[in-house]
Amino acid sequence: MDQIVTLLKRSMPFQTVPIDILEAIAGLARYESHARGDVIYHQGDFADDVYIVSSGSVQHTLGIGFQAIHPEKVLHSGDVFGWAAVLDNQRSRLAKTVCMERTELIRINGEELINLFRTSPETGDIVMSRFATMINKEYTLPEEVAGHVPHFTQVPVTMATGLTLTMFRLSQWLKSPKPYLMFTGFGILLATWYLTVEVWKLPRFADMPGLTVVMKEWFSKDPVYGLSIYTPEYYQHIWVSVRRILIAFFLATVLGVPLGLFLGWSKTFREYVFPVFETLRPIPILAWVPLAILMFQGSETPVIYLTFLASFYATALNTMLGVETIDESYSRAAACLGASKWQTFKEVIVPGAMPFIFTGLQISIGVAWFSLVAGEMVSGEFGLGYVINTSYTMVRYPTIVIGMITLGIVGYTSSALVRMAGDYMMQWRVRELALGGR
Amino acid sequence: MNAVLQKAEKAEKGALKGAIRIEDVVKIYDPEGAAVMAVDHCSLDIPAGEICMIVGPSGCGKTTLLNAIAGFHSISSGKIFLDDELLCGPEKPMAQPGSDRIVVFQNGALFPWKSNLDNVAFGPLMQGKLGKKEIYDKARSMMADAGLSGTEHNFPGEVSSGLRRRVEIVRALMNEPKVLLFDEPYRALDSLTKSVMHEALLEIYYKNKVTIFFITHDLEEAIFLGHRLVIMSSRPCKPKKIIDVDIPHPRDYSVLTSTRYRQLMDETIELVHEEAKKAFSAGEKEG
Repeated sequence: MDQIVTLLKRSMPFQTVPIDILEAIAGLARYESHARGDVIYHQGDFADDVYIVSSGSVQHTLGIGFQAIHPEKVLHSGDVFGWAAVLDNQRSRLAKTVCMERTELIRINGEELINLFRTSPETGDIVMSRFATMINKEYTLPEEVAGHVPHFTQVPVTMATGLTLTMFRLSQWLKSPKPYLMFTGFGILLATWYLTVEVWKLPRFADMPGLTVVMKEWFSKDPVYGLSIYTPEYYQHIWVSVRRILIAFFLATVLGVPLGLFLGWSKTFREYVFPVFETLRPIPILAWVPLAILMFQGSETPVIYLTFLASFYATALNTMLGVETIDESYSRAAACLGASKWQTFKEVIVPGAMPFIFTGLQISIGVAWFSLVAGEMVSGEFGLGYVINTSYTMVRYPTIVIGMITLGIVGYTSSALVRMAGDYMMQWRVRELALGGR
Repeated sequence: MNAVLQKAEKAEKGALKGAIRIEDVVKIYDPEGAAVMAVDHCSLDIPAGEICMIVGPSGCGKTTLLNAIAGFHSISSGKIFLDDELLCGPEKPMAQPGSDRIVVFQNGALFPWKSNLDNVAFGPLMQGKLGKKEIYDKARSMMADAGLSGTEHNFPGEVSSGLRRRVEIVRALMNEPKVLLFDEPYRALDSLTKSVMHEALLEIYYKNKVTIFFITHDLEEAIFLGHRLVIMSSRPCKPKKIIDVDIPHPRDYSVLTSTRYRQLMDETIELVHEEAKKAFSAGEKEG
C-alpha cells in the first residue's frame, strides 16, 4: 500500500494529490508483473485500466493517424500509460504496449478512478488537467486528443500552465543525481580550502584567510573588519557594482548588436569599420585605464566606460559572426517568397543571428565583470573591486575573500539571467535541443 | 482516383502558365582568372504544367541552371523566358527572384525560428497582398489538405524531415507560383521516406498543376515522377538526351514494378553511368 502511494506520488498526474485521496486511489490499484516480450494490450483493444510502471520498461507505440509527433516512447518507473481509459470519447486503445524486460505494473480501473474523483472534483480536475498535459507534451499528441479528459467541477479543464510544469521539472531535477553531484563539487572545493589552509597549514597557504575565519566574518553581526551580510555597506558595494554592470551591459547591447548586424549584413560597411575594430579590439582593457581617466570626469564614468568597452567588442563581434553563419538558402528562400531587402533583414537575418547574439551576450556579461573589477581597483570609491583592493592595502584579508565570493555569486546570477532571457526569446531552439536530448 | 483524374483534366483544359524556354544559355565561372564553363550552349523547352526531370551526376552544373532561372546567379550569354517574358538575357544577365518561381532547397530552407504555420504564411505576408486573417485561414486549409494539420504550431525542428519537406512545398504553393524549382530536395532522405514523399508530391501536383523543374541524380525518382527526363552531360552542362516517360499519370508506386518502367530504366542507366564516370574522373566538386 505504502509502496503504491510512493509510486503514485512519483507519477506526473498524481503528484499533487493530497495523501488521503492518494490512499483511496491506491486502494483501487492492483499489482501485476510481466515477462520480457509480454504484450499488455494491442491498439484497438477495449480500454479499461490505467497503468503505472513500477519497475522495468515498456515500449509504447501509438498507432498512425493520431498525429503524434513521436509515436514511439519507452516508459520507465513512474510513467503512466493506458490513459485512453479515462478519455471521455475513447474507449479503445490508441497504442500497442510491449514489456522490454521483466516489468512490474500497477493498474487502476479507469471508471472506478473517475467515480472516485466525482467525490472530490477539485482534485479530480487537477489530476485530469495533468493527464491532458502529459498526453500533449510527453506523448506529443495534438491538443484535441488531450482535451477529451473528463472534468468534474463547472470550470473547464485547462492545460497545466508554465508554473505547474516548472514545479514538475524542479521536482524531477531534485530526484535526479544532478543536484547531489553539484553539492559534492562544492564540497570538494571547500574541503580543499579548509584542509590546505587551516588543518595542514601548507607552506604558502598558512597566511591565507581560512574557511572558518572567512565564514565567521561574513556571517558575523559585528564583523572585525567591518564588512558582513549584516552591514549596510556590504549591500551598497554590491549595488554600486551591479548598477555599473547594468549601465555598461545595456549600452554595449544597444550599440553592439546593431553594429554587429550591420557589419555582417553590409559588405561596404564592413570594409570601413572592421579593420579599425580589429585593431582596437586586442588592446587590453587595463591599457585603456589612463586614457579613460583623462577622458571622463569623476570616478564613475571611467569605470563604466572600461566595463562597456570589453562587453561591446564581444557583443558586436559575435553578432557579426551570427549573421555570417546564416545559411544562404534562408535569404534566397525569403527572396523567392517575395520579401524585400528590409523584410529579409528583419525576418531572416535578425532571428537567424539570435543564437550567436546570445552567446555574445553571455561572453559580454562575463568580461563586463572582469573589466569592472579591474576598473574599480584603479579608480572608484565603492564596488566589489574597490573592496578587494582596499582590503588588501589595509590588511583585512578575510574581507578580500568575502568580496571574491560575492563577485562569484552575483556574476553567476547575472549570466544565468542572460541565459534565461535567451531561452525565453528562442523557444524554437530550446525545443529543438530538448528533442536532441540536451 | 477518378476524381483526381477529372480534376487533372480540368486543370489541363484551362490556360496553363509556367512554360520555360531556355535559349542557348552559357555560364562561365571566372574564379582566379581561370574560366570554367559550367553550362555550355544549353537549350531546352519546358511546356507549362510539365514535370521535367533534369538528371545528371553530382557537380555537372544542373544547379547553375536552376540558380539562373530562380535569379540567384547571372548567366554569361543566352536567354531564359517564362511564358514568353524575358527573365534574363544579354541586357539583364541576372533574373529578379520572384514568387512566380519558387525554389525547394536541397537541405530545406524552412525558417527554424518560425512555426510551420508562420512559415507557410510567410510569402503572402511579405507581399502584403491579402489580409492577415485571410492568409492564415488559407495557410491552415492548405496545410490540412496536405495532411499537415496538428503540426501548425510546431517548429520545423520538432517534426520529421519528411514532414518538413511537405511544409516547404505547401509554403511555396501558398504563393500560387507558375514554376516550382526542386534542387535535389530528397537527397538526404532514406529510400523509404523518399517513396512516401514522391507519392505525396504527385498528389499535390495533381491538385495544383504547376511546371516542375526537378533536379536529381536518382534515376528511379526521375522516371517515377517525370513526364520527361533531360539527361545532362557532365561539365560543361548540356542536354545529352531527352526521353519521354510514356507511363500515364496519375501514377502510384505500382509503376516501379511495371515492364515499361524497367525498359526505361535499362535505356537510361547506361547514359547516366557514362556521364557519372566522366564527372568522377574529372574530379569535380559537388554542387
